Amino acid sequence: MSKIIIKDVMKAFGDVVVLNDFNAEFADGEFITLLGPSGCGKTTMLRMIAGFEKPTKGEIFIGEQEVSSTKTFVPPEKRDIGMVFQSYAVWPHMTVFENVAYPLKMKKMDKANIKEHVARVLEIVHLSQYAERVPSQLSGGQQQRVALARALVAEPQLLLLDEPLSNLDAKLRDSMRFEIKEIQKALGITVVYVTHDQMEAMTMSDRVIVINHGDIQQIGKPTEIYRYPANQFVADFVGKINFIKATSANGEVQFKDSNQKLPYDGELKGDVVVGIRPENLRFIKTNGDLKGTMVSQFYLGDVNDCRVDIGGEQIRVIAEPKSFDKHAEGESILLRVDEFSVFEDTGDDEHMKILT
Amino acid sequence: MRSPTRSTSPSPLMVHRKWFMDPKWIIIALIVGFLLVFQVFPLLYLVFRAFFSTGKFSLAAFKRVYTYPLNWSALVNTLVTAFFSMVFGVLIAFPLAWLIGRTNLYGKKFFRTLFVATYMVPPYVGAMAWMRLLNPTVGSMNVFLQKIFNLSAAPFNIYTTGGLIWVLTGFYYPYAFITISRAMEKMDPSLEEASRISGASPLMTLRTITLPMMLPSIVAAALLVFIAAASAYGIPSIIGVPGQIHTVTTRIIDFVYIGSQEGLTDATTLAVFLMIIANIVLYLSTFTLGKRQYITVSGKSTRPNIVDLGKWRVLISMMVVLFALVIVIIPFITVALSSITVNLGEPVFSQGNMTLRYWARIFTRKSILSSSKNSLLSAIMAATFGMGISCMMAYLLVRTKVKGRKIPDFMITVGSGTPSVVIALSLIMAMSGKFGINIYNTLTIMVIAYMIKYMMMGMRTVVSALSQISPSLEEASQISGASWLKSMKNVTLPLIAPAIVAGWFLIFMPCFYELTMSTLLYSTNTKTLGYELFTYQTYHNQQTASALATAILIIVFGINWLLNKLTDGEFSI
Repeated sequence: MSKIIIKDVMKAFGDVVVLNDFNAEFADGEFITLLGPSGCGKTTMLRMIAGFEKPTKGEIFIGEQEVSSTKTFVPPEKRDIGMVFQSYAVWPHMTVFENVAYPLKMKKMDKANIKEHVARVLEIVHLSQYAERVPSQLSGGQQQRVALARALVAEPQLLLLDEPLSNLDAKLRDSMRFEIKEIQKALGITVVYVTHDQMEAMTMSDRVIVINHGDIQQIGKPTEIYRYPANQFVADFVGKINFIKATSANGEVQFKDSNQKLPYDGELKGDVVVGIRPENLRFIKTNGDLKGTMVSQFYLGDVNDCRVDIGGEQIRVIAEPKSFDKHAEGESILLRVDEFSVFEDTGDDEHMKILT
Repeated sequence: MRSPTRSTSPSPLMVHRKWFMDPKWIIIALIVGFLLVFQVFPLLYLVFRAFFSTGKFSLAAFKRVYTYPLNWSALVNTLVTAFFSMVFGVLIAFPLAWLIGRTNLYGKKFFRTLFVATYMVPPYVGAMAWMRLLNPTVGSMNVFLQKIFNLSAAPFNIYTTGGLIWVLTGFYYPYAFITISRAMEKMDPSLEEASRISGASPLMTLRTITLPMMLPSIVAAALLVFIAAASAYGIPSIIGVPGQIHTVTTRIIDFVYIGSQEGLTDATTLAVFLMIIANIVLYLSTFTLGKRQYITVSGKSTRPNIVDLGKWRVLISMMVVLFALVIVIIPFITVALSSITVNLGEPVFSQGNMTLRYWARIFTRKSILSSSKNSLLSAIMAATFGMGISCMMAYLLVRTKVKGRKIPDFMITVGSGTPSVVIALSLIMAMSGKFGINIYNTLTIMVIAYMIKYMMMGMRTVVSALSQISPSLEEASQISGASWLKSMKNVTLPLIAPAIVAGWFLIFMPCFYELTMSTLLYSTNTKTLGYELFTYQTYHNQQTASALATAILIIVFGINWLLNKLTDGEFSI
């Protein structure tokens, strides 16, 4: 349980720079998620915290100790860290008990004490009755919990999780998400969690660090990341969003294709991109912010997923399910915009397409 | 009522099934038939002959053979040398595999290539080199060491049991190195990382995780070295025999050369001993250890965590360099230099002692040329037929669920696990006309022997390539309208072509310079390169033998390099 400081960390493999100028501070007991698409450098960052990779530049502190810098390097075994690997890495030649007891053995704890500790942690991960099994007799989810128990048993100051849920099926993934969060709360341990799944990031984290192409895009609470994305990449990667090219002037943004307007009192002027999340759009009868024509709608049970033509471009609207019966394709409709973001127009059209 | 007309018969397809056997069955039957006639029957007959040499059951032959002290000592020598080669081989191979696979040793890639390549070198080359280096009176390394340390006598004598173990180890440890390296590459690196993060040092991780996880592979590797050393003929005949150290293989060949019926019986009796050992080893390594191998496939292919050797890095790298020098480089250079030396008693670089006449000889002398032609021909045939069978078998094994597809696979595995001497002897006994087939003294018998011994190398290569290709690729071709045959030609074949080429060379090379089986199966018209080289080495002229050996080395390394280039490094030996 301690804070982590990452200062100006850069990592390159040969000529390929995978992480740039990484600066972050994780508070004691915080649940931090490194979120990004595959190849963004998030796993490399985690492995540098663990000590499996050396930063090319920069320093890493765990607690008061400098674990990595140009002068010092503390090997993984001396960092007092627990880690869960994507492939679980449960040793097949040892029983569940032996696997979990291993970190304690390395600490030269006496046998009676080991037994007690292992029993307690197996209780936490609901594996008490499996202590004498070998890993090949366990399901994927159970192996995953063995890995978690092994990472927690020595009460490390820091727990690292490298996409631990990606090999599990959807149902199990859901329940493990809450279990991991529960355990973290109960133990008050600092956690760094790596994933490319935004749902995992949103549900578990105190703060999320969004990474792309080796650069930090945004650091913030899940709500901040979702509601106030720092740029188009973040807005696009976390959740769904419509991007509309617009011009900002005189307290308004005017859409370039349809000339429709929304009031805007922010700082950006000139060419901008307006981002509207589909669920922040509502159908209303009068006083709409936007006008449009219903192109298509799909009843999905919990929502009504619609495409609406607002004049020259289509946007996606996720409306409440009952709206499905009230509207028909080709019908003119009015939309209320509850919330939207405005981004500088970088000229990058990557994010302009309608989201499906 | 049943009508005989076509319109009411079930369906054309069903009729087909009735009248023609499934082609898969025919292929299996043909391969099994071939192996039954040329492998299983001769081996069984060999055992039968050992016990029924006089027509009825008797242990007289066993009594006679095993009470003869020379044979008894040959048995002991075989077991002792094979055992120590196994122990030393693994003690060398495991640290090397770990250093090269898991640490920041200097020149890892180079060492890996070098040690793997020695696997393809004919072992007798090692024997030729070491008898020049450690001859008790004129061995150049002995002389060198004597000078440096000011010794009164030569420190080593190669013509001893120790010398034999030394050379056997030096040329059979690559078997263990390759097996262990492959297993280590397959092991999920995060298993070791999990240990590090749990607080274990690199050495602790090696001891508690890497070593135990690798144990089944290490035992398999050890058994492989043991049986290879126990059934070796080239090395003991060059190193052992001059020092009166006989092994089972040299005794068997001596007995066959006697030519009498009693000689043959005695050879058979010794061969049965070798065969039993080999079968036990094969059973242990394939059918029991195979099941204990831990399958650890990593979800994401991370590069293994490289252990920093720290201040030991330079020292350990130097030790590996020294090892490579002594075990690989110096012997090869010795053989190459011998091939251009007039008087082997003098240094090669002294006045007028250098010549290319032996090299000229190997390209002009008739007997050498005709032996080379024989070897080339029989190796090409063995590789081609072997790959034909391998491809069919691989397809049946990987892509179909035909019953009995494992039978030929099992037989091929047994064949390759049987010592060469035993295969050759059994073919002599069974294929000399006694049972209607007489192919003794022909190249055919040579080709068949080679196939039985080396076919598995090709089959394993194709099987592993084919199992990496998803069947949906073929199905996608068929759904696009291509027939099964067209799909094979357009999709499957191009994808496994590199493996087929690699497999072909894997069979071709050991056949090309084969010695043991050729020694028993040759006739005046069917001498092979290996045998030719061996007679030059033992009876005529060592320089000519060295020139031949150097030429073989060049071919082996050349093919290996070519294979590497052609397949983009995917295949080499």
